[in-house]
Amino acid sequence: MIEYENILTTCPYCGTGCALHLQVLDGKLVGVLPAKNHIVSQGGLCIKGWNAHAFVNHPDRLKKPLIRKNGKFEEATWDEALTLIAEKLSQVKMESGPDSIAFLASAKCTNEENYVLQKFARAVIGTNNVDHCARLCHASTVVGLAAAFGSGAMTNTVPEFETDTNCFLVIGSNTTENHPLIATRVLKGQKRGAKVIVLDPRQTPIAHWADKYYEFRPGSDVAIFNALMNVIISEGLEDKAFIAERTEDFEALKKVVAEYTPERVSEICGIPADGLREVARMYAQNKPSAILYSMGITQHTTGVDNVKSAANLAMLCGNLGIAGGGVNALRGQNNVQGSCDMGALPNVYPGYQAVTIPEVQQKFQQAWGSTSSLNVGLTVTEIVHAAGEGNIRALYIMAENPMVSDPDLNHVRQCLENTEFLVVQDIFLTETAQFAHVVLPGASFAEKDGTFTNTERRVQRVRKAIEPLGDAKLDWVIVCELAKKMGAQGFDFDSPKAIMQEVNKLTPSYAGITYERLEELGSLHWPCPSEEHPGTPYLHKGKFSRGLGKFFAIEFKEPDELPNENYPYILTTGRLMFHFHTGSMTRRSEKLHSEVPEAYVEINVDDAKKIGLNGHKRVRVSSKRGEIELGVRVTDDIKRGVVFIPFHFAEAAANVLTNAALDPVAKIPEYKVCAVKVEPAA
Amino acid sequence: MSERLTSLRETIEKVLPDVDGVLALRQGPHGIVSPYLFHKERPGELDKLALWPKEPLPDTLKIILRAHPEAKLAIVCRGCEERGIVEMYKHAQFSLDNVILIGLQCEQEEAEFCRCAKPFTVHAKTVVGQPIQGVADPLTDKIAAMSLEEKREFWKQEFEHCIKCYGCRNICPQCFCNICALEDEKWVQTGRLPMPNPSMYHLVRAMHMTAKCVACRECEETCPADIPMAVHFRLIARDVKEMFNYETGASLQQKPPQLLVLEEGEYERTGLPH
Repeated sequence: MIEYENILTTCPYCGTGCALHLQVLDGKLVGVLPAKNHIVSQGGLCIKGWNAHAFVNHPDRLKKPLIRKNGKFEEATWDEALTLIAEKLSQVKMESGPDSIAFLASAKCTNEENYVLQKFARAVIGTNNVDHCARLCHASTVVGLAAAFGSGAMTNTVPEFETDTNCFLVIGSNTTENHPLIATRVLKGQKRGAKVIVLDPRQTPIAHWADKYYEFRPGSDVAIFNALMNVIISEGLEDKAFIAERTEDFEALKKVVAEYTPERVSEICGIPADGLREVARMYAQNKPSAILYSMGITQHTTGVDNVKSAANLAMLCGNLGIAGGGVNALRGQNNVQGSCDMGALPNVYPGYQAVTIPEVQQKFQQAWGSTSSLNVGLTVTEIVHAAGEGNIRALYIMAENPMVSDPDLNHVRQCLENTEFLVVQDIFLTETAQFAHVVLPGASFAEKDGTFTNTERRVQRVRKAIEPLGDAKLDWVIVCELAKKMGAQGFDFDSPKAIMQEVNKLTPSYAGITYERLEELGSLHWPCPSEEHPGTPYLHKGKFSRGLGKFFAIEFKEPDELPNENYPYILTTGRLMFHFHTGSMTRRSEKLHSEVPEAYVEINVDDAKKIGLNGHKRVRVSSKRGEIELGVRVTDDIKRGVVFIPFHFAEAAANVLTNAALDPVAKIPEYKVCAVKVEPAA
Repeated sequence: MSERLTSLRETIEKVLPDVDGVLALRQGPHGIVSPYLFHKERPGELDKLALWPKEPLPDTLKIILRAHPEAKLAIVCRGCEERGIVEMYKHAQFSLDNVILIGLQCEQEEAEFCRCAKPFTVHAKTVVGQPIQGVADPLTDKIAAMSLEEKREFWKQEFEHCIKCYGCRNICPQCFCNICALEDEKWVQTGRLPMPNPSMYHLVRAMHMTAKCVACRECEETCPADIPMAVHFRLIARDVKEMFNYETGASLQQKPPQLLVLEEGEYERTGLPH
C-alpha cells in the first residue's frame, strides 16, 4: 500500500513558531509544505523552514551510543552506556555531593523533555545546577522584564503587529534574518500604515525598508533610550494617566533622563540629535507602539539595564497592556521560552517558582518525593568554568553545543578537556560531543511528539512524522531510562502527553494547556491557569503581574572592552538567514550550506581600505583571546569601526574572539561588543 | 457538510475501489488542511476530506508517481490543478496512463480569491460541482496600465521585501528543473540578504515561467512578503497567447512553445533579430 501524508508540526529553528507539514511517503521524509491558515506562519516559511527536513537523514546522524575507551569512541549498547552514566553519577554524588554535578538542558528540545531533565537534576541528583542557552540570549530579558513588570516574557503577540501596531521601534533585532516571518508581519503592519523605525549598527534587511533607520555605536543602547525619554518628557508626550495609575518611581527616572539630552547622547551613540528627536516623536505619537528587540539589547554586560530601559520607554508612553504595543523580546530558539518555562534554569522550578522559597521546595518535594536545596544553582558559563576547575565533576549536556556557542572558546576547550566526566546527548557528534566520555544518540524534531513554546508564549504541538533513526531514542525516554536505572521513582511516563499532565499539575501558568485543547485550538498562550481559561495573548492588561510597573533610573555605562590602539575595531556577532546557531543542523542541509558555505567578516568599505584589504579575499581577525582566519565581505551596510561575524562556523568561530565578561545579574556574556584587529591574510 | 463536499466524497468512494489511492485534501489538527492519499482500506478517513484552502496537489502527484510509477491513482483537481497536471505531463514529469482526474469546479468566492480566469476543469471526465465563469483580475490590469516608471518603482519596492525563502519556487508545480538558475551564482548571488539585485531573482523566475505558469497562485499564497508575482506570469501568458497561440494547460496535444524544434531557416524567416 502506498502511504502518503503530511504531519503538521512546529518548525525547529527560530522562536517565531511557524507551522509546517512534514511530507511523509512510505515512512520516509520527502519534503516540507507550509501550513495555510496557520495563525503565525499564514502559509509561508523562510528558507530554513522550507529545508527543515534536510538534516534529519544526514549520514552523520548518531545511531548508537558511544563510550570513550583509550581516547577513542567505541559503539556501545544502551545498557552499557546508561549503566556507566548511572554508576558515575551515583559515585560523584556520594563522594562530592549533588552540587558537583550539573546539567545543560536544551532550547531545541520539547517542553516535556526539558521538564524531565530538570526533574532528573532536582529530584534524582538533588541539584539546582541546571541551565541552558537561554542564559546566552535572553537571560537579561527574563531578569529585566520580571523586575519591571513581574513577568520576564514577550508582552504581546505577533498577529497584533499586522492588525494593531501603529509604530514599530526595532532596536538590536535583525528581524528579517533571525525571525523572518515576524519581519514580514511587521511589513504587513507597515502596509496598513504603521511606521517602522530601525536602530542598529548594521543596515539590516528590515532597515532597508524601514521608514527611519539610524546606525549607532554598539553598546550605547541605554543612552539612546534615555535620550528618547528625555525628548518625550521635555515635549510633554508621555502618557501621564498611565504613569500615575499604573507605575511607580517615575520621578527618579525623570531626574536621570533629564541629563541625557539628544545633543549629549548624539556624541555617545552617533545618531544625530534631531534624529533622536524624530524617533522619539514617532514612537510617542503613533500609539500603540511596539518595541521589538533581541540579542542587540540583551547580549551586553549592561543587558539587564538595556532591557529595563526598553521597559521604561514603553511604560512612559502607556504602551503596555494593550494590543499592538509592548516590549517584544524576540526569543531566538524554537523552544527557548519553553525550556525557561519548564524550569531549566538554576533559580526556578517550572513556571518560575523560585527555588529559594521553602513553600515551593515543599510543593515539589511532595510531588516528586525528593528535590534540590534552597540554593540557586550555577549558570551555563559558570558550569563550564567549574567543570574545568574540577568543582563540577560530572556534566550532562542534552543537545547543546557550548564548544561553538559560548564566548571565549579557547577557554571553553580547556574546560571541556579537563571535565572529569562529560555526557552529551545529541543528534550529531557536535564539537562539544567530541570531548564527551559518553555520547547518547537523541532524536530530531521529526521523530518526536511534544510541545514547543514560541517567543509569544504560544504553546504548540510537535508531531512525530518518522521513527527515530537506528538505535537513537527520544530525549525524554533516555532521561527517564537513566532515572529508572538509578532507582528513581516518578519517571514512568508512557508519552509526552503524560509528562504534560504532570506539568499541568505543578505549573500554574500551564495548568490549562492540555494536549486535547491544543489539538482543537492549535495553540494557547500562557498564562493559562485552568482548562476553562482561553490563554493570555498580551500581558499586563489592567494590571502588571507585579502590581505596578516599576521605572528604573539607569545611567549609561560603557561596554566591558572598548576598541584601543592594538584592537581598533568593535566586533559584533550574530546569525544569518541561511544558518542557525552552531550550524550542526543547517550546515548539514544542502541548500542552506550552499548559500553560505563558510565564515566571513563584514567590514565597511572605508575600513577595508584602511586595513589595506586591496582585493585580498581572506583576513585574520584577532582579539586578546585568540584569532581566526576567514573570508571577507565589504559593504556599506555596516557602521565604520564595527565588524560583524556570524557565529555559525566552528572552523572560524567568532566566539574564539568574544569576551566572556558577564552582566552582573543575568550572567549573559557580552557577545555584541569586543575589541578586535583585522588584517589581510596571506 | 456542504453539498459539494458530500458530492466529492461520494465520487471518491466510487473511484476508490479501483485505484491504489485518491489524492485529495485532508482536514488535519485544528482545521489545518494538507494533501493526503486516501485508501480503500481506510474509507472512514473520508470523514476528514476537505476542499479548501487548496494545496499544490499536482506536485504531490509527481512525488508519489516518481516513487511508484506503476501506481494507479486518482487525483482531485480544480481548473488550475488540472492545467498544472497537463503541463507537467507534457514536460514528461509523469505519465497519465494510470491517473484518473476528478474535476472539482470552483465556486465564485474561490475564483475571486484567486483572480482566476478559468476556475473550471476541461479534461476530467468525472466532475463535481457546476462550472462558473472566470472572474476579472483587477490587480494585473492595474499594474499593466502603469507607466514604465511607475512599474519600475512598484516592483523595486515589492522585490525589496523578498526574504529569499524560495517558497515561490518550492511550491510551484511547474518548477521541476534538476538544476535551478536561482541557485546559480551567475544569475543570483548566493547567501546575500537583502539580495544585491532582487529583480534578477524574480525576473529569472518570470522568464522560466513563460508558457508554464498555470495561474494557480500558490506562489503568491506562500510568499511571506505578499509579492504579487503571479501578475508577471499572467502578463507573460497574455503575450504567449498572442505570439504562439498557446494557453498553458489547455490542450493535452499542443506542444508548449519552448519544446518546439524549429526547422532550418524557420527562425530567420520570422524576421526577429538574431
